[in-house]
Amino acid sequence: MIKFLTPFEKISKSNKTIILVSWIVLIIAIWFIGTSGTKHLFPSPAQVFSGFTALYNEGLVEHIFNSLKLCFLSIFLAVVISMLLAYTWPIPVLKPISEFITKFRFLPFTGLSFYVALLVHDARNMQVWILVIFLTTFLTTSLIAVIKDIPEEEFDHAKTLKCSRWEVLWQVIILGRIDYVIDVIRQNLAIAWMMLVTVESIVVASGGLGFLIKNSDKFMNHGRIIALQIIILIIGLGLDSGINFLRKAIFRYSKI
Amino acid sequence: MKHQYKETLLYIENLSVAYDDHVIIKDITLTEKDVVREGVDHTGQVIAFVGRSGRGKSTFFKAITGLVPVKTGKILIKDFEATEPNIAKVVKEGNIGFVDQKYTLFRHKTVQQTLKFALRKTSLTETEKEAKIKEYIEKWGLDTCVDKYPNELSGGQRQRIAIIEQLFSSDQFIVLDEPFSGLDVGNIQEVKKSFELLSSTSDFNTVIFSTHDIELAIELAQTIYVIGYPTINGKKEAYGTIVAKFDLRELGIAWELYGEKHIKLSKDIIHQMMIS
Repeated sequence: MIKFLTPFEKISKSNKTIILVSWIVLIIAIWFIGTSGTKHLFPSPAQVFSGFTALYNEGLVEHIFNSLKLCFLSIFLAVVISMLLAYTWPIPVLKPISEFITKFRFLPFTGLSFYVALLVHDARNMQVWILVIFLTTFLTTSLIAVIKDIPEEEFDHAKTLKCSRWEVLWQVIILGRIDYVIDVIRQNLAIAWMMLVTVESIVVASGGLGFLIKNSDKFMNHGRIIALQIIILIIGLGLDSGINFLRKAIFRYSKI
Repeated sequence: MKHQYKETLLYIENLSVAYDDHVIIKDITLTEKDVVREGVDHTGQVIAFVGRSGRGKSTFFKAITGLVPVKTGKILIKDFEATEPNIAKVVKEGNIGFVDQKYTLFRHKTVQQTLKFALRKTSLTETEKEAKIKEYIEKWGLDTCVDKYPNELSGGQRQRIAIIEQLFSSDQFIVLDEPFSGLDVGNIQEVKKSFELLSSTSDFNTVIFSTHDIELAIELAQTIYVIGYPTINGKKEAYGTIVAKFDLRELGIAWELYGEKHIKLSKDIIHQMMIS
């Protein structure tokens, strides 16, 4: 038992499982006990469950599908643009453009969405482009960081094999780090997923999880709100694991 | 054992390299010739560079492989494409192979793909390329690695692939920066075997390496250069240059088993390193 409380102590896998299960049981117990009275801030398990049922009856699956569609479309477009910006970063004349784009990640969401609204009139496209613009700034920053981290030896190695500078770019950066692109997407997925729900609640187009949250929020339906948070969390974690699995399955050499 | 000096393989004159105004190496001049031995089919050239840390060995290696621009001087190598003998060419990036301490390879290519890529600029046909790769894979004991990626190879296997790859791509010159650094006894033996294989394949194969292990340098090389800070007019300069050269062939101890004479040479080399 003292071992469990001592810093840097190594514990077995079964002990780790015991600790994890204990925490989950404790949280569930607190949730049940803490919400058993008549007055409580947090919704009870029964309220959350009825929230789930209500959401399902309102077409939850379709809303999830809409959110995922928006998520994948935005990520795809943002990745294509970011890769273009990041891969041209080593070219001296284009470097300032890529660097400049990365600075945009500090811009607030609301101001920019106003200008996107002026240019794009269709609500769905507006959602897509708001997400694409913001994701591009984050993805470009991460991809440039990946390029900066490539050891000098890898560039020298390509040069000693008579690679031209364009071949170095192709072999070392583009082909040599393609698995990192997937990892960058995975790392930025949390930001994308968080933005997506916000965008869906600001610009109401074709439903989605953000739309459901906004509706639940309006009627102060706590059970539904928590049920939605749980769904969003599970989908987010599922996407994270799925992408990580995909990276390892496609690229045998990838050990990030 | 009788030996003869033939064509010049490597010629360096007044080489100096500086980063901005900071001179790293200066006034390096050397000549290395093809040496043939009586009764031996092939005798490749093995040249060692020793010296204390920070004396510019790595910069020198990067300069002769064309990876850093030289400030002054010239580096010439035998032009193997020329039909007449004694024709030299100025070294360009890729003419001299370079294997760094980490044995860097393309992380996204299997061994087969790596070697095929190294041969891409040769005039060989696809069939000839396949045959050459197969020949080396078998000769260097890499049969089990053909479809493996670098992260699936052992240190020794990586090192052998890195050497073959550079040999395929370059003009028979290979520079290895501290190839024995951090290796265990087994891997050191494997590197030594690679050197023997390279030497026994062609008279023109030239291996240039740096090491902090003086005994290994004496055991493997025929020429040892000490790079250090020179003392000029009683003042120690702060740039690297060749401060001593030991030709083991002239000393009569090249290709011989390690003995008393080698131990004495080791002491001389260490002395030269310490004063520079």
